[in-house]
Parts: sequence; structure tokens; C-alpha cells
Amino acid sequence: MFEFSGGIAMILNNILTVAPILVFFICFFGLITGRKIIKSIILMAVMQASVVLFFLTIGFRSGISPPIGGHFEELQYVADPLPHALMITAIVIGVAVTTINITMLMSMFRTYKTTDWDIAEQKSMEDVE
Amino acid sequence: MVYALFLLFVIIAVCILIEERNIRLIIYMTIFSLTASASFFFLGSPDVAMAEAAVGAFTTIFFVVCFEKYDDLKVDRLPQSVKKVQKNKKRWKALVLPLGFTVLLFGLFLYFMPDGEVNTYLKEQYLSRFMYEIGGENAVTAIYLGYRVYDTLFEALVLIISVIAVSHMSYSSKESVSDGRHSDVERSVVVVTVMRIVCAVVLLFGVYLIFNGHITAGGGFQGGLFIAIFFVCRYLIYNIYDLPIKKMFRLEEFIFFFTLLIVIFIVFLGVHAHFPPTFQAIYMVVMNLMIGLKVGCGFVILFYRFIAIERG
Repeated sequence: MFEFSGGIAMILNNILTVAPILVFFICFFGLITGRKIIKSIILMAVMQASVVLFFLTIGFRSGISPPIGGHFEELQYVADPLPHALMITAIVIGVAVTTINITMLMSMFRTYKTTDWDIAEQKSMEDVE
Repeated sequence: MVYALFLLFVIIAVCILIEERNIRLIIYMTIFSLTASASFFFLGSPDVAMAEAAVGAFTTIFFVVCFEKYDDLKVDRLPQSVKKVQKNKKRWKALVLPLGFTVLLFGLFLYFMPDGEVNTYLKEQYLSRFMYEIGGENAVTAIYLGYRVYDTLFEALVLIISVIAVSHMSYSSKESVSDGRHSDVERSVVVVTVMRIVCAVVLLFGVYLIFNGHITAGGGFQGGLFIAIFFVCRYLIYNIYDLPIKKMFRLEEFIFFFTLLIVIFIVFLGVHAHFPPTFQAIYMVVMNLMIGLKVGCGFVILFYRFIAIERG
């Protein structure tokens, strides 16, 4: 394999760790610039999945096996079970958050008849005035 | 394989970013969830892969039902003002500042990213001791039922809070609940026929995951999610809203209370570590069953409260 040096080497060696964070920031960019509420909800769901991916890639090496089945011979080729246990709870909480988001969207759509952030904000300001 | 899947993630994220049609957004999200599930498997965690697969199916059905209730969401009518703004080139200037901010944050992450060996002390401790201290053969289940049972309890609490939130928001419409009422949307024959076959398999798979969670991949969370998906399939087949939601919520609260009692009297007092292996297995199966029923009840209530919201 090629030998790189400096920051590029760090990125290329940890490409599996960098890719979920890249997805995370793409979604972040979409969240702060997007106009559609549905898109924002979906981007939040994808962000959550990318964070889960990031945690699972820590300590990854090729030929890794799941931490199931009792006695393990070589511990460095068994995946770390602690992030897995935490990420299962994180996924269940993530889908609960998505559900609340969709319910809020429908409640808002019933009031303002729009799925656009700016128009909804205008209408809510008109209501206040 | 993992590298190809990760390349696919970035591509799908960019696709979601530039896509404007609602239906396609949901299809992209489903593809992302499926790909994430596959890569979790290749990263060595079939437990998380199953949870992600169930969650992907659940969220997709949620979005589809949401679109079905409001036709205006399905049709992508962009308002006139938006079209004008899109033609205007000043919109690109408004994107420069957020893009710069995002690139700055990403650069900061890359700059401060730790480069070195991961500390594996805790992993080795867990992997070499969990069979004697907690029981079972699945280290992941052993951790969230034994070493880190606090996390499980608080996750259950968060789920109850989300159920309360959804119930509160759906009560805001006046004519929300009427038992045994069919919705007016016609079902496709293909969907109903396939669902009739699939739903039995889904229920069986959920029960299998719950009762074998301490030996193979699986556990209470995944089993509960699959049981919730069985009830979603039931809604898709019969198209009816007739479950006793309030009783189910009482059941969920009771199960949560019972789980708390088990944890306080068995794990916190330290009795559990001195159990013979048979009782340890019974403890894990009972806890998985409790968590599965609780998560299943929670998501069924979420879904049925959600479809009870009416239009207008």
C-alpha cells in the first residue's frame, strides 16, 4: 500500500471513521439551509444513523467477528460490545424522536397548511400580531 | 465491502440534500437505513443491524401513513415565492456562509481527531468475564442487562415520555379517536395479500429474538420493534383502529414498574452475581421479555395514536 504522511495519512487510514462524520456534516448543512420540513426530519434521522455508524467504526479492523458465542480465542478480532449495547438504545430513542417530529409536523400542517419553514414562520408571526 | 457501503452513504446523503420531491426523499432514507443495516453487520454487530432494519421499516411506514392522511404533502406544490427565489441567483450567496461554517466544523473535527490505538481494557474485561458474572453467550445483551442496566431503564423512561408527547399532540384535534372506524383510503390487493403472509413471519421472528436474545444475536429491543411492526402490518391489512390504547399504556407503565422492581431487587443488591447459571438465564429471558413487551407496547401506542390524528 502507499505510505502517506501528515494529515492526509490520518484521514486515509481512518477513512471509515471520517465517512460517517462527513455524512453528519452534509446533513448539518442541509438542516441549516433547507426550506422543507419533511427534508429536515429525514436529515435528522440520517444524522442519527451516521452517529451510530461513527461509534461502531471505532476500533474496527478487517476480519472482525461479533461478540457472540462464549469463549473467544483472539480478543483483538472480536468487536467491542460496549458501543453496540449503547447504540441499540440510541437507535430506539432515535425512532421515538422521529415519531414525535412527524407528529409535530402534522399538527403544524393542520394549523398553517404548509411544509415550508419560512412560510410557516411568516404565518405564525401574523398570528402573533 | 464496508468501504463500498460507506461510499454509498456519502452519495445517498448528497442525494437527500439536493432532492426536492417528498416521495423520493423517503425512498432515499429507506435505502440509507438498509445500507446502514448491512454495514452494521459487516462491522461485527448483528444486534444493531437488526435494530436498524426494524427502525427503517417502522419509520418508512410512518412517513407513508403521514402522506396518505394529507394529500397535500404528497403533491409537491412549491409555492410561487419559492420558485421565484430559486430563479434568483442571490440564493447561492445565502448558501456560502452556512457552507463555510460546515466546512470549518468538519475541518476542526479532522484536526482534533485522535490518532492512535483504542483503549481495549474495558472490552477485554467484559469479554472475559461476562459469562460468569451475568450469564448468557451474547456480550451485548449481557452488557445492557447487567453491567449497564441503568441505560436500559432510562431508555425505557425516554420511550414512555415520547409516547406521552405523541398522545398529547394528537389529543389536540377534537374528533381524534373513534373506535373501530375504517379509514377511507383503499388498499392495494398486492399489499394486503403480501402482508397477510409476512405478518405471521414477523411476529414469529420477534418472539424468537426475545427468547433467544441471551444466546444469539437479538434481544428485547429488537424483538419489541418487530412485534410493533406486526401490529403495523395488522393495520395495513384490516385498516382499522380498534386497539385498547389506554389499557396498553397502563400495561406499559406496569411493565416498566415491574422491570424497575426486578432491577432493584436482583441487580442493585448484588444477588445476581451469585446465581447458578440456570437462574441467570431465567433472569435474562424475563428481562428481555419485559423490555420487548414494553418497547412493543410503546411503539404500537405511538403508531396508533399517530394514525388517529384526523385531517381538518
